Amino acid sequence: MVAAAPKPSLAEIVTTLNGVDEDAAARSAAALGDRPETAAHEALLDALAWGAAPAVTVAEIVAVARHPAPPDVAALRRVAGHHDPNVRGPALEALAMYPDPAARAAIAEGLRDPNASVRASAARAAVKGHVRAAIDPLLALLGLGEESAARALAAMADPELVRRIGDQLGKVPDPTLALCLGLVLQRADFGPDSERVDIVHALGKIKDPAADGALADYVRTAPKNPPRASVVEAQKMIEARGAGGGS
Amino acid sequence: MRRLALACVLGVAACGGSLFRLTADDNDRGQLASALADRKLPEQRAPINAARVPRVFVALGGPRKQIVEYDLAAGKLVWRQPADIDSRIAVGGSFVVALEGKQLVARDQATGAASWRVDVPGTFVGVAADRERAYLAWSDGGNGAIAAYDGASGSRLWHATADGALGAPAAQGGVVYVPYLSQWLSIIDGASGHQLARIRGVDEQISMLRTTSTDAYFGSKQGVFHLDARAAAGTRKDGTYAKVTVPPQLEHTQYGADAYDAVQSGYSAADRARVLWSGLLGDAGYAVAYFRFVFGFDRSGALVWAYSHPRTELVASDDTGAALVAISQTGDVVALDPKTGAVLLDRPIGTSEPVLGATFDADGWRPPSEGAPVQTTITGPASLATIEALVGIARDHDERFDRVKELAVQALAKLPGGEVTSQLLDVLADPRASDKLKGDVVDLLIARKDPSSLGVLAAQLATHDDYIAKTSPTALGPIAKAIAGLGGAKLDPAAVATALAALRGHLDAPTTQVPDLVPVIAAMAAIGGGAERAALSSHLLLYHADPEIGGDPAWGQAIVGALETHGGPAERELLAAVAADPRTQPSLVAILREALAAD
Repeated sequence: MVAAAPKPSLAEIVTTLNGVDEDAAARSAAALGDRPETAAHEALLDALAWGAAPAVTVAEIVAVARHPAPPDVAALRRVAGHHDPNVRGPALEALAMYPDPAARAAIAEGLRDPNASVRASAARAAVKGHVRAAIDPLLALLGLGEESAARALAAMADPELVRRIGDQLGKVPDPTLALCLGLVLQRADFGPDSERVDIVHALGKIKDPAADGALADYVRTAPKNPPRASVVEAQKMIEARGAGGGS
Repeated sequence: MRRLALACVLGVAACGGSLFRLTADDNDRGQLASALADRKLPEQRAPINAARVPRVFVALGGPRKQIVEYDLAAGKLVWRQPADIDSRIAVGGSFVVALEGKQLVARDQATGAASWRVDVPGTFVGVAADRERAYLAWSDGGNGAIAAYDGASGSRLWHATADGALGAPAAQGGVVYVPYLSQWLSIIDGASGHQLARIRGVDEQISMLRTTSTDAYFGSKQGVFHLDARAAAGTRKDGTYAKVTVPPQLEHTQYGADAYDAVQSGYSAADRARVLWSGLLGDAGYAVAYFRFVFGFDRSGALVWAYSHPRTELVASDDTGAALVAISQTGDVVALDPKTGAVLLDRPIGTSEPVLGATFDADGWRPPSEGAPVQTTITGPASLATIEALVGIARDHDERFDRVKELAVQALAKLPGGEVTSQLLDVLADPRASDKLKGDVVDLLIARKDPSSLGVLAAQLATHDDYIAKTSPTALGPIAKAIAGLGGAKLDPAAVATALAALRGHLDAPTTQVPDLVPVIAAMAAIGGGAERAALSSHLLLYHADPEIGGDPAWGQAIVGALETHGGPAERELLAAVAADPRTQPSLVAILREALAAD
């Protein structure tokens, strides 16, 4: 029987965190994130403030966000402006944990980032943090055919937002719009069914085959019970489009 | 036969003898003074034509070439006639004369109808006229010849030959000036063909002539002699000689047409780059007409005003003594105030055919001012018109004028004020501006050190990379350098705070690259007065262990230099701590150690 290794002290972890071995430092950051005590969190904030190699900084970001506290926002916003997109993305996603308006503004700003992966992170953060300020930039990205924006809007949409999305027909690439509306249909929490019928009608106006796919997916995956008028409508739409129609 | 013999006794010219020889009396001051005194010149500058009406005679192109007379005072086209104009148009008292095809053709100024025509005996060299006569120079087998014709009848009055080439003549008040073998200027009595005096150029060749109703000038591309008794010396030192500074950007500008250049015996591109002056050259300033632009200079050679003609080139120009007049390719007559560049007149002559060239006969004329005179100087407050003209030139998209644009931005940069800075920045933002021009603008922005421009410079920093808006910062580095150039100047604290915030926005922006970060850091340090330290310290920490930015020596020098030079004890302590951090990039450590060792 081998005795368990003694749990390293906070000071030992911090020493490794501040060392030149980046892998070890990243592990130390994760270890600090696992620990509930305030001192561990403060050590992570200190490390973020002092700066580190990008890989270590990412580990620190993830660890800090495991125990969100108001003072984190300033530190996370700072690294959300890091030149390395691999740092910016996680920072934006971490900011989703904070209801602070500054955090929400940073997320909305991240949707304007030149790097697509960073924009995708910001879009996910917008969904996670229910960032209303992100809706307009997400709609703008939808117009640019950005898939991450379609997914985010679909996740955030209420009936009013769905109507705004539907109004984008002709302004947004058809496949992107079809993806967005199709994803809304897939949401179990979206309703009532009359709203889904409107979405089906909106999909019916989209000529692109992606709309056919979205309708078919909906018919295939929608719960059979209770019966939905929207499914019946979608079925009719598919048949009409298959016959060369379309509405 | 007896009369011809008598004429030959009286003078060689009448019977076609060789008037121009290598050996003759040159540079006789008494002869020259007498010859000049015999000229019949008006008391004040006035048009040559007998009616004393300011006119311009225009050669038009198109399917069928034409000649047009336009009355400048009345603003009306007097007549137009088909005419195959192949030379400059010379203006006499009641006639105009020009080479048309192979013939010298005189036309009545009242109607434009041809009044006489004569064959050119050899290769056409040039034509001139005074109120009474026309003078035709030609060459035959390399030797020149000249003949005089009665302006009214076209009868030949005399002719003479030369042992060598003659240049295009000029005429004034009854005498005709004839360049000979690039070394001499013969002054011939227009009525008799007798040589009255001859000047031999000692210092430079004689290849350019210009006459107004009251003055005559000769010289070369290098400079200009005023034709007065002192010209008998033949030297620059003892003559009334001058040359003016023409900016190198206005290349190929000349004082007048080259009398020996066959191309310039007609209207040509050379007419579009001219020094314009009246009186003694440079005494009261001068102007340069350069294709679409006219620049005014004071007597020291400093640019004081500019005019930019919209779209089309000015194909002919002149200084009447009271106004600068020009005509564009599309037939717009423009008159400018010689002192201020204010536009006195801009009027189409009413033709649709392209203008090939023109001769103004408008000495002394100035159009009535259509508005209040505008004072324009570059050294003092510049007029809006001049700023607009300079901006228009700087932002012109015609690549042929890239060098002129350099001149414009140099002139703009000498003007104080945020508005001018804004215009210079617009040049930087113009995607069609050449890299060379942008480089010049950057240098000028840095050099101009205009504190009132800080707000404009800061405002220019408002644009960031934005994927949705499709924007990117424009000229971030140059603007930051220009702001850094304001370090040490007395600056408005509010403007400094605004500028610092704008600079910080770019310092913290993820897309700002090291070549731009370096001047941004320098600018913050230069104007921050300490307020920048926290931001720069945070920036150092964020990237000190980053291989890309932290490992860039240029960035290291900039950030360490800024904190070491402009920081306090806390910043030096921070630098030492970063130097001691084992994760700090090695090149940065070296920079830190050097800075700390020198401290």
